Amino acid sequence: MADYAYIGKKMPRVDTRAKVTGQARFTADLDLPRMLVGKILRSPHPHARILNIDVSAAERLPGVKAVIIGAETLGRKWGVFRYTLDQQMLTTDKVRYIGEDVAAVAAVDAETALAALDLIQVDYEVLDPVFDPMAAMAPDAPQLHDDFPNNINIHVPIEVGDVEAGFKKSHYVREDTYAAPEDSYFQAEPYAVVAQWDLDGNLEMWMPNAGPHMKSKPLSNLLGIPLNKVRVRKIAIGGAFGGRSEISPADMICALLAKKARRPVKIAFTREENSIATRQGHALTTTIKTGVDQEGRVLARDITCYMDGGAYSSTGPIATSVPFLCMEQAYRMDHVRYNGYRIYTNKPIRGMIRMHGRGFACGVDTQLDLIAEHLGLDPVQIRVVNARQPGEYTNTGSLVASCAMQKTIEKAAEKARWADKWGNLPPFHGIGIGTNSVQTGFPMGIRGGSQAIIKFNEDGGATVISGVVDNGQGNDNMLVQIAAEELGIRPEDIQLVTADTEVTPSDPGSYSQVSTFIGGHAVKLAARDVMKKVLLTASELLNADVGDLVARDRMISVKGDPERAIHIKKAIRMGLVKGRAPSGEGAYWPKVDHKREWVQNPHGQMCGAFSFGTTICEVAVDPETGQVTVLEVTAAQDVGYALNPLVLEGQFEGSVAMGGQGGMLTEEHVWKDGAVLNPTALDYRLPLAADMPPINAIIVESVDPDGPYGAKEAGMSIAMSAAQAYCAAVSNAVGVYFEDYPITPDKIVRAIREKQAKEN
Amino acid sequence: MQLPGFEYLEPRNLDEALDMLGEHGAEGAVLAGGTDLIVRMKQRLQTPRFLLSLKHLNELDYIREDTGCLLIGAATPLARIIDDANVRARLPAFHTAVSAIGARSIQHVRGTLGGNLCQDNRCRFYNQSAFFRSTRQACHKAGGTICYAREGSDRCRSTCQSDGAPALMALGAAVTLRGAGSERTIPVKELYTAVGDAPLSLHSSELLTEISIPLPGPGVGSAYRRLTFRAAIDYPLVSAAAYVRLGDGHIDEARIVVGAIGSGPLFLVTASNGLQGKQSTDEKALSAAAGMAGSSAGAFIVDNLNADMEYRTAMIPVLVSRALRGALAAAGA
Amino acid sequence: MEKVNLELKVNGETLTVAIFPNRTLLEVLRAEAGLTGAKEGCGEGACGHCTVLLDDQPVRACLTLAVEADGHDITTVEGLAAGETLDPLQEAFIEHGSVQCGFCTPGMLMSAKGLLLEDPQPDEQKIRRALSGNICRCTGYTKIVEAVADAAKK
Repeated sequence: MADYAYIGKKMPRVDTRAKVTGQARFTADLDLPRMLVGKILRSPHPHARILNIDVSAAERLPGVKAVIIGAETLGRKWGVFRYTLDQQMLTTDKVRYIGEDVAAVAAVDAETALAALDLIQVDYEVLDPVFDPMAAMAPDAPQLHDDFPNNINIHVPIEVGDVEAGFKKSHYVREDTYAAPEDSYFQAEPYAVVAQWDLDGNLEMWMPNAGPHMKSKPLSNLLGIPLNKVRVRKIAIGGAFGGRSEISPADMICALLAKKARRPVKIAFTREENSIATRQGHALTTTIKTGVDQEGRVLARDITCYMDGGAYSSTGPIATSVPFLCMEQAYRMDHVRYNGYRIYTNKPIRGMIRMHGRGFACGVDTQLDLIAEHLGLDPVQIRVVNARQPGEYTNTGSLVASCAMQKTIEKAAEKARWADKWGNLPPFHGIGIGTNSVQTGFPMGIRGGSQAIIKFNEDGGATVISGVVDNGQGNDNMLVQIAAEELGIRPEDIQLVTADTEVTPSDPGSYSQVSTFIGGHAVKLAARDVMKKVLLTASELLNADVGDLVARDRMISVKGDPERAIHIKKAIRMGLVKGRAPSGEGAYWPKVDHKREWVQNPHGQMCGAFSFGTTICEVAVDPETGQVTVLEVTAAQDVGYALNPLVLEGQFEGSVAMGGQGGMLTEEHVWKDGAVLNPTALDYRLPLAADMPPINAIIVESVDPDGPYGAKEAGMSIAMSAAQAYCAAVSNAVGVYFEDYPITPDKIVRAIREKQAKEN
Repeated sequence: MQLPGFEYLEPRNLDEALDMLGEHGAEGAVLAGGTDLIVRMKQRLQTPRFLLSLKHLNELDYIREDTGCLLIGAATPLARIIDDANVRARLPAFHTAVSAIGARSIQHVRGTLGGNLCQDNRCRFYNQSAFFRSTRQACHKAGGTICYAREGSDRCRSTCQSDGAPALMALGAAVTLRGAGSERTIPVKELYTAVGDAPLSLHSSELLTEISIPLPGPGVGSAYRRLTFRAAIDYPLVSAAAYVRLGDGHIDEARIVVGAIGSGPLFLVTASNGLQGKQSTDEKALSAAAGMAGSSAGAFIVDNLNADMEYRTAMIPVLVSRALRGALAAAGA
Repeated sequence: MEKVNLELKVNGETLTVAIFPNRTLLEVLRAEAGLTGAKEGCGEGACGHCTVLLDDQPVRACLTLAVEADGHDITTVEGLAAGETLDPLQEAFIEHGSVQCGFCTPGMLMSAKGLLLEDPQPDEQKIRRALSGNICRCTGYTKIVEAVADAAKK
């Protein structure tokens, strides 16, 4: 194993001191001179045509400085893909969900802004809404968008091999249907945005984001200004989990209000707005038909999935594909067919979420357990039999270079004492296992790669310039760790300039789990670039070969001869005199197949690397109340290489809470006529400290050939597999396989009572 | 979230408070810990013209024993009640109920017992933001004529989710209500009207000043059980309080109260009386009482809390049974 | 509505403000005192991100009227450290990796501080209960609970 100074060490994060002292600034904490308060008028109707908007009374209210409506925008539509341009951000024709942005006000204070909203008169022609994706596909259903017949937003068809022949050859075939409603990101920080313009027409903005460049590009398009005039600044971000990857209507609205009022404007969402007017997780119904041989090997699988996409496309093509991709990465199959449909309904917009597609992933694993039971296998065995192995290709043609999936299963099973417990637990105790795989990086078009710049200062300190954003997962620290390692200086010697579209080069953002793999990689390469020059100067000073030099702890020394050493700043200063720039650049572009396209051509190398996770969960169920006590959770993930085990453990533990404890036991949105009944922190039940079980976090390494130091995605494989493990554990405790998620106490009691009635 | 405007009244003592209530009570609200009222005001469910603060009324912050009763001032913070030795040792139903309210950092420091007892009824179609309510017609409680919890209902069916109320009702507690020049002490049972949109019999000129709980002698036990999906924060989805008095191995008296089901706490007379004279070990009698409690209380349920209604109905006998067994154990049966 | 004068003692310093009575303590701390450590996460008392100490006890600043805090001692996360010297809880949160996005951290720290002021040696169950009014979406709480237990030992 390499002898690293900082990589692989448990290192407290560089951003935490500011966060524990209250000094870290989040968007809503910003206070600019003459700043106004912005508020958004939202649609009370799930589906209605806007006939007229009268803002005159609102404009007359003292203290109101700007009112805007869709007619004042360029009217352009935005979509993540050319074929999904469907959202105007401030609609001019129809509203398509309760909570959609209709108009906005900037005023001197919140009371005035809210009073002005009440004065805006909107005439609607109420249209029939449709809330159920199956009903939305019916021929006579209300149409949300003219260009998308039958409300089918996306159809991803995949067929590899001869599925029917596979079923024919199978020893055992079964078909089951699984479903789950919408879930919520519920980031700690409600969405907020601040915008101000300067006299040269430069727009400066702050908002929680998962990639500043993913914000500036659509803003440039929608506002009709050059990209270099949109300056999205760095700010502390209170969580993303996939829900802050794209432009929000509030971004454009805030920019337009600020422009019209010629003053800075801040819009801070209420918790309810964050729940209904940002993004939600998709509701899914998945039908899975699987054929296996006598050993439980999957020969053929045919899956049809209907996803409720809400009113607009968002990342639709990606969202429709990812549940399938996770499965095909995790489990081998000889033949496979997939039809994923994303359907428009008059509900809020759905995006990618950390536990994406529980109604898919838990279905795949539940069915696997059913098959195992039929064949007399235990759940661990059937997973090992089907587990992805390194060097294999997925069905759609991705080489899986590094993979320790089997090891995650074995390590987790050993730690959880699976062999002792399976089949031997007392009544209403259960144990379950889930396994899954997640992409490290998607094809992201022109923003698929990252570039970084590093410059040394004359005192040996360095500034790292990178587009990587930190949503809370610790990316800033990751960059510092890599830079300190490569530059041979200490973490405190490094200043970060990150996530600022004016200054930092392009980067895919923390989208698709690539910050380390791509952004970190670019910083590593930039460091190597600058060190080439510094070491060259040092070699001249030390009279040694460049290849014999090592930089560590601010000193450059000759390998094996530590007496021959100079302070790094000496090499930098001498380099300056010699006209060598003490700066370096790095760029990393992942090895993905650029002909691969989500809908048109879902074949070829999907991304740079794949992570693999296994979670085992043990529960006790109260058979009278259906309440679940989680006794212990063991989470093992192949992370490639652990750059910072402290951070990884935190990712695993948080993933268990979000994917398993919340995702499988309590979290779901509940609806009444298109309105969310539980948008608040009181009613949307996130797990609490006293709900959480002890968690064993096991880091498994496979050293990916392309990852920086071998690292790849960390955490999301646990969020996914935790949901599956919780699901399996409750099923095992109750003796009933659940098909509807989350598995709330009411479903458990019903299942127990039905089972008892059947047995009597 | 912004609070509406109001005039803040800051009486220096109880007499002053009662005078102010007499004058402004009809357009006012009493601010104790604020953990219920402030949320409602932010949601514009309540927009009182006057807010009468109890912050200077230290005279309502006490716990003392007097002639066989524990007397608790209405403005006593829940945290002090939870830590009280008498409450812990002798009034387990009450102790469990108060400990279970919300979370320590929300209700226990600022929240008061009077506030918990006087909290307004709740309904998931009513306790929502002004925006949510703008998406549909007003319900009974919001001044309209329809009910989203039960189609066709001619009245509000909101639910009383106080934890303190069922426990205190089972314990036979009383409350003192004072106005300027008036004072009455009524059983807790009579504080609740079971009317969804006017759930308290407290007049607008009155202040709940004291709670009086009879301290039980030997052979008496009580217990409170509540159902939530999380370990804290949540309001109960169903709750049950039980009180038993034993004599010579028999149950001399039993009281069963079910909470979070009806528009007021439900004192289940038939189920309670059915236990009278039964052996404390009579499993059949206990099950029968729980079953009876389930069917009596179940008749009041509507689908208006954040959980499946069928499930909540099915949980009534389970919780009643557990509360009864807890009470019997506490009584030394 | 008329403005009222109040005097709060915030992190040991006297803060005198004239405000409308419908201002919450959270609004006054953030807007008048410039102390933005306490966050508004829900505005309804459920999430705990606005938790501050009022006379050494944790309260929801979003549910507390500023006028109700008149004359009382308020401690916010900014007042937890003594100058450059961090509180043992802050040190422990850093060391244990208890902070991810950091939005819940100020409230979490203040609930934890309130607990340790009341009970310097809480067991794990008591820590978990005391923190159960504070929602964290990132960490799963493991490292937060560990940090509080560790800080209690110091």
